[in-house]
Amino acid sequence: MKISELGEAARIAIEGLQANKLRSFLTTLGVVIGITFVILMGWFLNGLDAALESTVNLLGTDVMYVDKWSWSGGQNWRKTMARKDITYQQALEFCKKINTAELSLPEARKWGGTIQVKNKNITGISIIGVPFSYANLPAGTISYGRFFSQFEDQYSTNSAVLGWNVASTLFPDGDAIGRNIKIGGRSFEVVGVIIKRGNMMMDFVDNQVIIPISTFFGIYGSIGRSVSIAVKAGKAELMDEVRSETTGLMRGIRNVAPGEEDDFSINETQTFRDEVQTLRLSTWGIGIGLTLLSFTVGIIGIMNIMFVSVTERTKEIGIRKSLGAKSSSILFQFLVEAASLCFVGALIAFVFCSALIFVIVQFIPQADFLTPYVPPQLLLIAALVSIFVGILAGMIPAIRASKMDPVEALRYES
Amino acid sequence: MNDNPLIHIQNISKVYEMGGEQVFALRDISLDIYPNEYVALMGPSGSGKSTLMNVLGCLDTPSTGIYTFKGLDVNEMSDNDLAEIRNREIGFVFQTFNLLPRATAVKNIELPLIYSGVSSSERKSRAIKVLQDVGLGERLTHKPNELSGGQRQRVAVARALVTNPSIILADEPTGNLDTKTGIEIMKLFRDLWLKGNTVILVTHEEDVARYAQRIIRIRDGKVESDEKNTVSQYSQGTE
Ligand SMILES: Nc1ncnc2c1ncn2[C@@H]1O[C@H](COP(=O)(O)OP(=O)(O)OP(=O)(O)O)[C@@H](O)[C@H]1O
Ligand SMILES: [Mg+2]
Repeated sequence: MKISELGEAARIAIEGLQANKLRSFLTTLGVVIGITFVILMGWFLNGLDAALESTVNLLGTDVMYVDKWSWSGGQNWRKTMARKDITYQQALEFCKKINTAELSLPEARKWGGTIQVKNKNITGISIIGVPFSYANLPAGTISYGRFFSQFEDQYSTNSAVLGWNVASTLFPDGDAIGRNIKIGGRSFEVVGVIIKRGNMMMDFVDNQVIIPISTFFGIYGSIGRSVSIAVKAGKAELMDEVRSETTGLMRGIRNVAPGEEDDFSINETQTFRDEVQTLRLSTWGIGIGLTLLSFTVGIIGIMNIMFVSVTERTKEIGIRKSLGAKSSSILFQFLVEAASLCFVGALIAFVFCSALIFVIVQFIPQADFLTPYVPPQLLLIAALVSIFVGILAGMIPAIRASKMDPVEALRYES
Repeated sequence: MNDNPLIHIQNISKVYEMGGEQVFALRDISLDIYPNEYVALMGPSGSGKSTLMNVLGCLDTPSTGIYTFKGLDVNEMSDNDLAEIRNREIGFVFQTFNLLPRATAVKNIELPLIYSGVSSSERKSRAIKVLQDVGLGERLTHKPNELSGGQRQRVAVARALVTNPSIILADEPTGNLDTKTGIEIMKLFRDLWLKGNTVILVTHEEDVARYAQRIIRIRDGKVESDEKNTVSQYSQGTE
């Protein structure tokens, strides 16, 4: 294959596309749809991975959460329901006794709380009570203002740290610090705002308000409330060690007899990875199925149009062969034509997907974990896939063209 | 005349199977063509002239017989070898011009150079040069349908010449042209021959054949006669 032939093949392909715009467009439709699926699937998985990463970072890869409930579900629901609550006392005892962890702290939560500012009411806010040391967890990272202090914690002051969405809803001008809000009828002073952390999987973290844990119990009481314990190992390598100490301690504190199952769960970010993996696989399953279907339709269309193109250009093939074109040159020429056809399909799909994705992200709030544009690496993948599909579809017509007898081909009258 | 023939064919036959029946397009033809010969191939319709030209031009392979081109055994060659011979050694001119309709004159002429891997800039300058040589320097970017029949055939001749082939094979090059334009094209071939090219030309017309130096007559796939042209139009043509 000579370099000079490459340019010639590309030129012929473009000429062919220009000469048959409508026909080219219609035949690439299958490829357009196929590539659209590829792009949308990649875009979704990409967003999912990013969301997973931010969730994992939010919770911390070196943090485990001891809880009555398991994050992954899957376990016997009845059994879990029957577990006794983890009391504040148990949590405190645990935090005092644990040695291997860098940090551990209790966390009490009230779902669906209401807060008021002047005459504004917002519902669906999750109120959590934690000690001041929560500031050292990834979830306690401050955007502006500060976390409540040890002093405020000890003396159960009414200080509040707002999640990002709460702050931006109540105080869109960014002047939350020092303002008053009402939680459970009591007045709180806002001291800080947590950075925006949320995503598809963890959207509630931006809709929460953090207050000192003793204040929390003062408002909501401790009966019928299971506390969870955040245990920060400090390093991911220490997780195993910390986990085994945690298990031992909790079993002791909760009097679990030897040989009996744990009556608590130790949750880690790994659970999210496992769950995302399931979601990823099902996306692949559906996506690949639809993609293959449309590519099959696309390939049949392109193959058909390539057969037409080969027949229409029988004489041209004869002329080229008489001038010294080898079979391989003719083969190459038609493969390039088919690949270009599919590549144009990929371009159309790309433009379409870009518009679609922009609209989706713009108007569907739940989709905000997804990028508002097609990730650049998908462009490359879509281009390569389209070229591959084109070669696949063009192969048989191109072989037919390359095998034409030059004398017969020259004799052909269209 | 040189000692080594450019083309040597010996007992060549070409048989087509037509519904179980054998059609002999060529029977037992033997010929030698030497460098810088100008040969006219004549004969009635269906006598096998085009078939012979296709064999000589390595477009077609004979059913039996020996063909050596510049001492090389053509029967032994692969399809790729044949394509290379056509590309480098042979220049075809057809009755129906056989230009690519969508390409300009220059692009048409560049085609054989594309397949021999000549760079784009060199292709272009060589194409323009031969186009000027055939008197069409003013028509570089015209497409075939923007040219007259005679001009199209000039483009085709230029395309045959651009690779500096060892031999030019023209199958009824004036067949689709009026008498006056035909004469112009014949002058072109005569000039090529005078410059040292080897030309084989198929024709029906005695007038056209008269330009050649040697006339081979074919009938029913056999050589009927092979003689020097006595009515030497070519020497008169140099006026
Ligand atoms: N592909 C083919 N299949 C069957 N027979 C063929 C084929 N090609 C040529 N022939 C036969 O071979 C014979 C010679 O044909 P050819 O085209 O060489 O004649 P020609 O001398 O060039 O005639 P013309 O002057 O009309 O162009 C004819 O009888 C023709 O029918
Ligand atoms: Mg003929």
